[in-house]
Order: sequence, then structure tokens, then C-alpha cells
Amino acid sequence: MSQSAEGVQIAKAGPRHGLVAADGRWITMGLGVATLLTLGLPLIVTALWSLMNPASGWFAPDILPPSLARAHWREALSDRTIPGAFLTSLLIGVCVTVLTAVLALPPAYALAKLPFRAKRAVELFVLAPLIVPGIIVAVGIGSLFFRLGLVYTIPGVILVQTIGTLPFMIRILAATIEGVPDDILHAARSLGAGPLQVARHILVPVAGPGFLAGGLLTFISSFEEFEKTFIIGAPFVQTLPVILWTYLGGRVIVFPTAAVVTFLLLAPMLLIFFLAERVLRDDVLAAGMGKV
Amino acid sequence: MAELSLTSIRKTFGDATAVETLDLSIANGEFLTLLGPSGCGKTTILRMIAGIAMPDAGEIRIGGRRVDGLPPEGRNVGLVFQSYALFPHMTVAANVGFGLKMRKVPRREAEDRIAAALDLVDLGRFAARYPRELSGGQQQRVALARALVTEPDLLLLDEPLSNLDAKLRDQLREDLRRLQERLRVTTLYVTHDQSEAMALSDRILVMRAGRIVEEGAPEALYRRPRTRFAAEFLGQTNVVRLIRRDGMAMLPWGEAMPDAQSDSAYVSIRPEDIALRPDPHGPGRITACTFLGPTVEYRVELAERSLRVRQTGSGTVLLTEGTGVALSLLVTPHPLAEGMA
Amino acid sequence: MTRLSVPMTAAILLLPGAGYLALLFGLPLVLAVLASFGVLTRGYDGGPTLAFYAELFGTRAYVDGLVFSTYLALVPTAVSLMISVPLAVLLAQSFPGRRLFTALNKVPLVVPGIVAAFIVMTLFDRGGTAARVLAPLGLDLPKLVRDDWAIGAVMATVWKTVPFMTLIVGGAMASINRDVVLAARTLGAGPVATFWQIQIPLALPGITAATLLSFIGGMGAFAVPNLLGPVYPLPLSVHMYVNAFERANWGLVAAMGTTLSAISCVVLLAYYRVTRGLRAAGGAR
Ligand SMILES: Nc1ncnc2c1ncn2[C@@H]1O[C@H](COP(=O)(O)OP(=O)(O)O)[C@@H](O)[C@H]1O
Ligand SMILES: [Mg+2]
Repeated sequence: MSQSAEGVQIAKAGPRHGLVAADGRWITMGLGVATLLTLGLPLIVTALWSLMNPASGWFAPDILPPSLARAHWREALSDRTIPGAFLTSLLIGVCVTVLTAVLALPPAYALAKLPFRAKRAVELFVLAPLIVPGIIVAVGIGSLFFRLGLVYTIPGVILVQTIGTLPFMIRILAATIEGVPDDILHAARSLGAGPLQVARHILVPVAGPGFLAGGLLTFISSFEEFEKTFIIGAPFVQTLPVILWTYLGGRVIVFPTAAVVTFLLLAPMLLIFFLAERVLRDDVLAAGMGKV
Repeated sequence: MAELSLTSIRKTFGDATAVETLDLSIANGEFLTLLGPSGCGKTTILRMIAGIAMPDAGEIRIGGRRVDGLPPEGRNVGLVFQSYALFPHMTVAANVGFGLKMRKVPRREAEDRIAAALDLVDLGRFAARYPRELSGGQQQRVALARALVTEPDLLLLDEPLSNLDAKLRDQLREDLRRLQERLRVTTLYVTHDQSEAMALSDRILVMRAGRIVEEGAPEALYRRPRTRFAAEFLGQTNVVRLIRRDGMAMLPWGEAMPDAQSDSAYVSIRPEDIALRPDPHGPGRITACTFLGPTVEYRVELAERSLRVRQTGSGTVLLTEGTGVALSLLVTPHPLAEGMA
Repeated sequence: MTRLSVPMTAAILLLPGAGYLALLFGLPLVLAVLASFGVLTRGYDGGPTLAFYAELFGTRAYVDGLVFSTYLALVPTAVSLMISVPLAVLLAQSFPGRRLFTALNKVPLVVPGIVAAFIVMTLFDRGGTAARVLAPLGLDLPKLVRDDWAIGAVMATVWKTVPFMTLIVGGAMASINRDVVLAARTLGAGPVATFWQIQIPLALPGITAATLLSFIGGMGAFAVPNLLGPVYPLPLSVHMYVNAFERANWGLVAAMGTTLSAISCVVLLAYYRVTRGLRAAGGAR
């Protein structure tokens, strides 16, 4: 609120006072062109590929395909693998989100509110999975999972993805909980609430935006995760990114089918994204990632 | 050092008017205070003078030079923010030296001036510290030194004492006054605290909802306010309606106004300007008595209203609740301009 | 109910998250480091050895792979930084449609890296859209996919990284107290001086954090360089994959993983050096 009010003031202040000596409309135009080129164009080209007519093809000099058809969509959706992969991705995403939230809340609270000596060390340790490339995590855990019979299984994929999502979630939650004043927690305790009741009735509702943002971010990163899933799960656990990989990484690159899978991957992401645009507030995200 | 004048300055935020068409001028070396309740537009005025907010209309001149088109760095004013706004990544010395660096003052000279400025606010020992290692009062003094070291034409202070505790506030208030008397820098001070305003200022402007309501030297404003708002804002008062009878103006307790040529209907009577005498048949009755140490405050019930009365001196006897009293004026009260709600 | 001491409570609360990471992340990592020195290595029982490191640093393809991994970490990070900081400043201005562009800027955050790779293929591969558009103008596009400089891989990575960096840098800039910035202006600093002397130093923790995370992502990049990068050299991550699942040379895989992690740690330490002063000054959030 105050920030937008500030914005009004800067707007009145005019070009002399902004760092960018440009009229607001020039910024809009520049960003508009840039967005069209980097976001609009790729989406249009991908859409055209997914709608390419296999009968007429789409070859070199043609900038636009000569004719369009739904053949690839129909084929992809009737073939069991792609809808199946979509459901697998969805299932894994939901499980990872729940598991991550349950595991992250208690340590986030401890990091945010309790004074203890090894805090900095614990913080660092919790962040460590971000510092180590995912492929190393996956290969390292591979032999352990092999012995436990978890490779090539959905639970194995859920467990390995959670390693990557836990650090962000703990950070975002800790940052949000830190913002809840101690006094209201103490007030609830003095009014007779036990620790679990305080968590349920005060902490979770008050820190709600952080939970939502963290949860959505976790779901998104699970849905798009490739490397760890590929190493632990493929070829038996097929998520959408793994399928996309097989269409793109093989000897023959199947553009139209890949385009269909791309849209299946993007659709839920963009849907969540625009529904949750308010929830995925910049400050919450930056709090989770902006400090290592 | 220079005089400042604002002519027909106006500022709105969307539909809300923060500053209504306003004229203001400060003489060279004067200490002027803008006094008014929170939200009345004081900070907005300072920001427009400093160049970090733009007026919608009007003219600002410093030392005769028109500055309202200039960016802040072209105005040579020193502004002390209410939040101090110290640079957290710089030491105290670097904070104070920032303005000199921007003016490309040679290193040796800058060092001398930083040291002098820090001595001025008695912080010489803290030059190497970071702002977070200082107390609130010390941070405030760094902000002051930072604003003064560039020898600005004009010093602007936005409620600089409001974030400090009462004891420290009194001390810094005195320090500030002494400093200004010594440097004689033209100063515009903003506060909502009337005792600060009276203690510091050569002249006070009382503001309300974006307008200047009244102005004057502290003593005149306190003793002879023209408006009810100023009378009530500068300390406690009783605004009393005069009763006209037989061509005489009577006070609520039946005493005739000594100087009845005024045709105003209202007067402001300060609590300390009323004397009380125990009298079972008197028109008033004590309904509350609060002992504050140096003073005793009474609430006195009359037929139609109640009054505040303050007595000083250890010689007086405390009057208990229920005591009947007679009232009399110690000075001639000042009539208020009529029509003030 | 009896009251637990604070350290005890903290330990219990930390257990689920930290225990999970200790078991599934810490333990495998320790085992990998040990395995790289021949201790408890799968498919090897010759006792402690440096042979795996000797193999890694003695094989031309692997050394080139390590250099290439570093290249894939450095170049996209540098390019993204040069785009993101100005973009963050731009998005902080007031202009029509600011909210919309702020939202659109975040879209690539939710787009999988493989999709980014696919997009680069459709646009910039031989015979891709860009080439088709430029051909009638008589312009010939250089090889951008599977090329020696991995331009396609850099483009895809930058496309994914810029929004992430812009978000963090923008957040860091927005959290700077406005009065502090304005104070610099009243003290005689112009917009440019204010930017370099006040805004950049105060946003530095955010900028360096984004840089660090982007760099580490690049070190381990697997899918994007595999799809868009040159045939030689291959990044070390791809060598890791091949040696693990096609050659079962686990000691070498562990040595590669340990080396990549070590480089990330060195970068992390450098990061702490850079930001320590700022943390001390309270400039960091
Ligand atoms: N940036 C802004 N955007 C919108 N309204 C503002 C802004 N700054 C101040 N105002 C409004 O202008 C009025 C005056 O504010 P201000 O000058 O800060 O008052 P004071 O300093 O006297 O407390 C207030 O009503 C305030 O809400
Ligand atoms: Mg104010």
C-alpha cells in the first residue's frame, strides 16, 4: 500500500528524479517489445508446432506452417503415456509439497524464534542442498536407494525431490514466522493455548501468505524437476519433464509431440502462476532466496 | 545561509490535499518551527523544500534563487530525517563525509571538516563505528552532523527528537538550540510537540490539515492566541463563551470581563491564569484534584460547564473534592477570532 | 505438562527437517566423498587411493568437461547479471502496466529448463524460426545450437536465470529504506552516484546471493547443455551420468561429484567474504 503511494509520488516527481531518465510510456513500450520477443514469440512458435499438420509438414522456407491440424494433440492425448505422465507429475508434486511442508515447519519455527547456539551452522546445513548440484545429490543417493529398493519408484522420486525443495521452504517459512511478533504468540499462550494450538490457530493463519507461497513454489519446482527424477526414477517413473526429454534427447527429435508435452507442462504452471500471482509476492520469494 | 520563501505552494496525493495553497518565509538565520498534529502536511512541506517531493504548484526560493525545478542535489539544503536515514553500510565518519565527497572536497580538508562536525555534536570518539553500533540519540547527532558539515544554505529538521526518550529529548533540545545560535544557520524545524516548538523557535507556524492557522513568537502565540485551534494546541486551555448582559461581558462564574470593549464571544483562559479561593457559597465546586508535584490540577464544576485550573507553589493548600470555590482571573484573557469551531 | 529447556525444544523441532537432510543428503554426500578416495566404493575393493582423481585429472575429456562446466556456470551468470540489475531498476520505476510486466517477468521461473531448451531449438536451430525469418533478408544465422561456444545453452540458461535474479535483486533494492536513498540526494549525490554508492552496496547481499545460486546451478547443469551444447566437450555432469549408469565406474563418478561440490563450496566461501562486511554493517536483511 505505502509502496504504491510512494510510486505515485515518484511519478509526480518526473524524469529528473528517477534513475531512468525516461518517460513511463517508453519503459512500457520497451518492456512490451522485449516480452513479446522473449515470451510471446516462443509460445506462439510452440503452439504452431503442436498444431502442425502431419500431412503437409512444416519445412524450411515457410515461416508459418502451411496448414494446421489437431492430429498431434489427439494422438498425444489418446496415447496412454502422456496423460499418465501428467497424473504422475501431479501426484508426485502434491506428495512432495505435503511432505516438504510437514518437515519444514518445525525447523523453520526453531530457526525463526528460538535462541540456540549452533543456529548459524544449522542454517548453513539446511541450505547445503542448494549449494550442491542436483545431479550429485541424485547420483549420491542412488546407491542408497538401490539398496533400499527405492530406485525406479514413485516414493523414491518423492524423497529425492524433497531434498531439493526443503531448503527453500524452510527459508521462506522461517522468514515469514520471524515476521510474526513474539507478543501475539505469548498472548495466545497466556490465554491458555498449548504449543500445538498456538501453531494451528495463530502461527499458521498469521504466517499464511508465506505458507501458501512456499507451498506453491514447492509444487512448481517438483512439477518441473528433471535431473533428480530422471536419475532416480527413469525409465519406470515417467513425469512430464522426463517424457519431454525422451522426445528431445533421442536420435529423432519429435518437435510436434514435444510441443504438446510442453503445453501440458506449462498449462498447470501458468494457471497456478496467474491464480497465485498475489500470493507469490516478490518479497516473500525474495525472502526465501535472497540470502544464502 | 540564506532566507527561504515559499509562494502559493500546493501538493495533493491523488484526491487528498496534503498541503493547501501556502506561503511561508524564513529570514536569514531564523529558527522557524512548523507545529501541528500528525498528518497535517509538515513532512510534505520539508520534502518539497529539499526537492524529494514536487509541489503541484507554486514557487520555492532559497536565498532569492528559484529552486523548485532543481533536483535535490542542486539545492544545498541539509535535511535531517525523522528516521535519521543513516547509511547502514558506512561508518559514522563516512556518513558525515558523504556530502563532502559528492562535492569533491579534497581529502585533507574533508577529514578536518568531518572531525570538526563530529566534535560539534560531541561524537569525535565514534567516527569509526557503524550506525547500528550507536544509540538513538547518537544516531540523531550523526544525522545532524551529516546535514551540517556541507554548510547548507538551509537546515531542515523533521521531528528529529520524536524517536528519543523524554530525558534525552530535553537535553538534545538544549544542545540543538545552542548549536543553532552559534552557527546561525537558517532552520526550519518540524514537530508536533508544543514544548519543543516553544523552547527552540524564534517563530512558530501552527498548522492544521495542510494550512497555516496562525503564526507568532512563542510567547505571543501562547499568551495571546487568535484561534481556538492554536490556543488548544499550545498547551491546555479553557475556551469560554462570554455572556452579554447589560452591555457587559460576563465570565461563566459571573465575573465581568475587565476589558469589555472586545465584541468577541469567546476567550481562551489558561488553567494557570485562574485563582481559586475556598468558599462554600462560591459558584464552583471541585470535582477532581490531581497532584502532579510542581502543580496541582483541578477540575472545577460550574453551573453549565467545567473548567481546568492549575495552581503552583508549595504554599497552596490542596482543595479536596466537593469543596466549593470562588474563581477570579489573574490576567486579562485574550479574545479569540470568532467563527472558529 | 513439564517444560522442556530451549535447546531441547530446538533440537526436537529441528529434527524432522534437519534429520531428513542429514540422512538423505548429508550421508550420501559423505559416502560419495569417501568413495572418491576408494573407501567403501561400489565395485572397487582395493583400499584407499587417489586413482580416481588421477583418472579425472589425467583424462583430457574430463578436464575439458570441468572447464566447460565452469564456463556454463560463469557465462550465463555474468550475462544474466548484466540484464537483471538494470531490469530490476527499470521495474522499480513507475510506468503504465508495471504490475503486468512484473508478473510476466516471473513466468520463466515456472517453465522447466527442458522447455526452455526446446524453445531455443525451435527458434534458433538450423532451419528454426529465426533462420527462416532472416533468410529472405539475405542474413545467415551462425550455428547457435550444438555449437562450440554453447550459445544455445547459454541463451536457454539466461532465459531461465534472468527472472530469478531480477526478483531477488529487485527485492533487495525494494527493501532499502527510501529515506536513505533520498538522504543521499539531499547530500548532493546525483542519481548515478546514489545508485553506485548507496543502492548497489545495500542490495549487494541479494545480488551476490542470486549470483551464487545461478553459478551453482550452472556447475551442475545437465539437461540443457546435453540438449543444446556441443558434442565436445561435454560438461562434467554428463560425464558423471555416463560413468554411473553406462560404465558403473562409481569411484570416478564420486570424484567428479566431489570436485564439482568443492568448486561450489569455494564460490560459497568467496560469497561470504564479499558479504561479511555488509552483514556486519546491518545492510543485509
Ligand atoms: N507518498 C504519499 N502518498 C499519499 N499520501 C501521502 C504521501 N505522503 C503523505 N501523504 C498524506 O499527506 C498528508 C500529510 O502527510 P505528512 O506531510 O507526512 O504529515 P506530517 O508530517 O505532518 O505528519 C497525510 O494525510 C498523508 O497521509
Ligand atoms: Mg511527518
